[in-house]
Amino acid sequence: MKIVAIARNTFREAVRNKILYSLVMFATALILGSLVLGDFTLGEEIRLTRDLGLYGVDIFGVLIAIFLGVNMLYKELQLKTVYTILPKPIARYQFVLGKWLGLVFTLVLQVAVMGAVLQVALLIQGAGFETAVWKALWLLMINVIVVTSIALAFSAFSTPFLSGVFSMGIFLVGRATPDLVEIGKKAGGLAHTGVAIAVKILPNLHLFFPSGAVVGAKHISVHANLVDMNYMVSATLYGLGYSIVVVALAIVIFRKRDFV
Amino acid sequence: MSVESVLTAVGLAKTFHLGFFRKKVQAVKDVSFHVKKGEIFGFLGPNGAGKTTTMKILTGLVFQDRGTASVLGRPVGDLHAKQRMGYLPETPYFYEYLTQEEFLDFSGQLAGVAGTVLRKRREELIERVGLGHARGRPLRKFSKGMLQRVGIAQALMGDPDLVILDEPMTGLDPLGRKEVRDLMVALKREGKTVFFSTHILPDVEMICDRVALVVAGRTVSEGPLASLLSAQVIGTEVHLRPSAAGTLPELPNGVDKLVSGGDVRLDLPASVDVDTFLLSAVNAGAHVISVQPRRESLEEYFVQQANKGNAKVAQS
Repeated sequence: MKIVAIARNTFREAVRNKILYSLVMFATALILGSLVLGDFTLGEEIRLTRDLGLYGVDIFGVLIAIFLGVNMLYKELQLKTVYTILPKPIARYQFVLGKWLGLVFTLVLQVAVMGAVLQVALLIQGAGFETAVWKALWLLMINVIVVTSIALAFSAFSTPFLSGVFSMGIFLVGRATPDLVEIGKKAGGLAHTGVAIAVKILPNLHLFFPSGAVVGAKHISVHANLVDMNYMVSATLYGLGYSIVVVALAIVIFRKRDFV
Repeated sequence: MSVESVLTAVGLAKTFHLGFFRKKVQAVKDVSFHVKKGEIFGFLGPNGAGKTTTMKILTGLVFQDRGTASVLGRPVGDLHAKQRMGYLPETPYFYEYLTQEEFLDFSGQLAGVAGTVLRKRREELIERVGLGHARGRPLRKFSKGMLQRVGIAQALMGDPDLVILDEPMTGLDPLGRKEVRDLMVALKREGKTVFFSTHILPDVEMICDRVALVVAGRTVSEGPLASLLSAQVIGTEVHLRPSAAGTLPELPNGVDKLVSGGDVRLDLPASVDVDTFLLSAVNAGAHVISVQPRRESLEEYFVQQANKGNAKVAQS
């Protein structure tokens, strides 16, 4: 009940801070962009809309996830609203969990709305309901949950600017996990060991954008069937599990803090 | 736990490490006091004395380095104790995108109140703190005084037994201060305990059962006002209207004299024999308007103790 109250207030804050209005801008740009650009591509309109749309959801989603995540706890401390909330009969872990759930709900809604806009654009161009696109959207949703959890953990002890830089850094490195592994193999020695350790600790965000990769000797593409259900389930469990561990870390940091 | 013990602090100490170089700042060095059930307890001290840090320790926002504290017989931070406690922070900040109704509902939900009780209590408190005219208005449009009132209302949403208010008079005009004083007295009548810090000493003299004075991070005194302030007469204020000739008896050394509209106000020290002085004034043709013995005020006591405490800090 108390966690839900905090989550609801967090969602209300995100909505009233007009963050989600960026969605409208994105949706408009996406529809106009894909419809206009489609005229310049011969028979590839739908393919272009899929690519443009999914990259848009990915980039916008991650940017908003980092922006909301890094500000979430820091703003409570900076604006001193936490002084009014924490003396109430709630535990600090409930506060962090509530903030996180509110954030996750906001981002899930955001990806869902962007996905709906993408689907409408595809329908306008004559495509049907595309399972592969919705699978890709689901994975991108898990991706933003992981990224925002990392940003939230940083915001428990760092400024929004530094938290943003660290979170973006982790996102970029996490997305390039297969490339890093290859580089480590080629370099050998200590670099190989270092990369192997980093890859174990950092999130493998490449799992959530598999289109274009080779999985199990099979070329994966959102223009075909994307990935099977086993992949979807294991990627989802990995993403949620990673997020829970990171949020637990944020709770440990937050529990020890003095609110001066 | 003693039945009467509502709030107890014993030997509290807290040092902060601030800035890049982790500079040590000893905010609280040795604070102890004991608040009894059903009383209005004033927590006094000059700026930087450690009052707010002590309050943050008691409300679980800051962890003490040394000492013990209990709230309603339980350790600080205990959820059962927090359930029965309401807190107004100093210069409170709220979620400015919420209306007062939404904020009070949110506060009530966190205090475990729901349904019709929540709505009823919210409406009662809005009226009680005089914000009925601001319904539906977002908090960002509230004045400082209005925010202070919302702050008091949110502290009461859980119908607490103990109300902790950090500088509740800040930002309020004289009428608002009176209303808050009246509210505190009303809370006491309802059987609640009120613990508050303030700089406004006349308010303390008017409503507090007991006070603790903290200077430079240490409690220097605690008790009922009457026991802290000297009962002895430390001077006498005399209001005279001199004769047409304007003659007055010779004034002893060290007497403050204020002339206003033809009248003379004198502050005679305790060493002056007031009867003899008044007799000589009447003999000189003066008319005695009033004679007021002056006892030690809280303000004088406060200044005296603060100076002593600061002198000790300077020596060490």
